[in-house]
Parts: sequence; C-alpha cells; structure tokens
Amino acid sequence: MTRERFEALAEAHGGAIARWPEEARAAAEAFVSEQPQAARAILARAESLDAALDAWRPPAPGHALRERVIAAAPKAVRRAVRWTWVIGAGAGAGLCAATAAGLLLGATLSFQTSQADEPVSSVMTAYEAPALGEPVETTT
Amino acid sequence: MSAGDPDEELLSRVAEGDPAAIRALAARKLPRLMSLAGRMLGETAEAEDVAQEAMIRAWRQAPSWRPGAAKFDTWLHRVALNLCYDRLRRRREVATDKPPEVADEGPAPDRGLQARDVGLRVAQAMRALPERQREAVTLCHYQELGNIEAAKVMGISVEALESLLSRGRRALRAALSDMVEP
Repeated sequence: MTRERFEALAEAHGGAIARWPEEARAAAEAFVSEQPQAARAILARAESLDAALDAWRPPAPGHALRERVIAAAPKAVRRAVRWTWVIGAGAGAGLCAATAAGLLLGATLSFQTSQADEPVSSVMTAYEAPALGEPVETTT
Repeated sequence: MSAGDPDEELLSRVAEGDPAAIRALAARKLPRLMSLAGRMLGETAEAEDVAQEAMIRAWRQAPSWRPGAAKFDTWLHRVALNLCYDRLRRRREVATDKPPEVADEGPAPDRGLQARDVGLRVAQAMRALPERQREAVTLCHYQELGNIEAAKVMGISVEALESLLSRGRRALRAALSDMVEP
C-alpha cells in the first residue's frame, strides 16, 4: 500500500484500521510495519477528529418512547397473525361449502334430468332462487 | 448476504409475538435509531418520531421477513433514513421551519473546551454538511456500519461512499480546526 492510499483511507474511515474496509486492512497493517512513524502520524491525525466527533452524544431513547414502541408490537403482530388465521380458516370453510354446494347441485341436476324431461335451464332456475335467499313465491 | 445476521433469530420470535423477543429487539434497535435520526435531524422529538415509526414498520415486517435479501439492520437503517429525508424535505418546503438553533459560544476563555461544548460544536459542523456527506459520516462513524453495508443503505458504490466520507471529514476538520490536528 502506498502512503497516499494509506492517507486516503485514514481521511475517509478514521484512525482505527479495524474500521477500514476489510479488504484493505492487511495491506494497511503491512504499511504500519514498514513505515511505523509515518503511519502513526497519519493515524493520530485521523484519531483526533474521531475523538472530537465522539463528543457529540446521541439522544438516548426515553422510557416513554420505549414503552410506546413495545406496547405497539405484540398487538400488531398477534392481531396480524390471528387475522391471517381467521381469514385462512374462513376461506377454507368457504371452499368446503362451495364444494358441497357443487356436489349437491350436480346430484340434483343428474337426478332431475334423469327423472324428468324438463330442460336444464328451468332446473337451474328452480335451484338458484332459494339458494340466493330470495323469497320464493308459491302458487296454490 | 444475510449469513450471520445477528437479528434473524430474534425476528422470527418477534413474528410469533414473543414478548421477550419484542423487548430485546426494541432494546437493541431503539438506541441505534435514535442515534441515526438524532444526528440526521438534530432534534430529539423528531428523532423519537422517526425511531417509533421505524420500529412499528419493523413489527409489521417481522412476520414476512425473508432472510437472504439483506441484513435486518441494513433494512431498518434504510427505513429510518427515508423517514429522516421526508422530514428534511418538509423543512425545506416550509420556509419558516428552520432547523433548531444551537448556540455558538465558542470555547469559554477561562475553562477551555468542555465535552459538552465540543459536542455542540460537532453538532453544528455536522448540520452544516451537505446531507449525503452527513449521512455517510453518520452511517460509518456513528452507526459503525462497514463500507459495504453503508454503501448499500445509501444506494451507492463503495468508491462513491469513500469520496463522500473524505469530503465530509475534511469539512468537519476545517470547521473544528481549533480542536483537532490540522
């Protein structure tokens, strides 16, 4: 590694080689071994900026924030999971009902068409009206 | 790419609604989110809003999190940064909405620079940086992301990241020239 590259890396990533890009660390350590004095001066300069930057402490999460976030989580996650289950179960039940209705319709059609000479369309109409839950008018 | 993602196991328990996992993930991520948002926005109340919103999105994401695409921490940083940028954009759009003032009293003549004074000076210097430089310095120096992760969060190449870092740190050195090696 050249001195220029070593300087550029320190300028960008600071004075701790452990925090430099992984692929550059071995060559950087080799440069420190080859030119310890120059390397130390470059690193010390970068470290002085690192130390100043570290004086700016981040705001810590307050207790109220932590509790708000935690209180939001379990409900959101569990409700999502529960609703997923309910929707899945509902869809499954619906499919079963639809299958049963289909089988019933098929059985009814085959029975009625074999028993009478009525056209299929009239059988369908006779079947569909009650299935939709509409009142059926009966003539006496 | 997510090999060794330290959050993966915790996330799967969060997805099941495990209260201990939820507390643990909040304890692990909230300080990082506050650090990120606080440094990007320079205001604690706004940083708290961003941290809360990012965590709520994390809870929603947990059940459908697919390991392999990216590390969870990288994803969470991207979410929080987008929220920060929304707020910074709103500040620019509202002319009267100025960033909070930080008193610049300079070094006290009789007692030298105290840690708090240095912190305020750094906060000002960081705020004066262009946003992308501030983001690069925040991700790499303060959040301690590796260059590959930071570049991924920013959606740029590692070379572009290094350039932003160099320019950012040079500007910071110039702004803090009385307290760091020239």
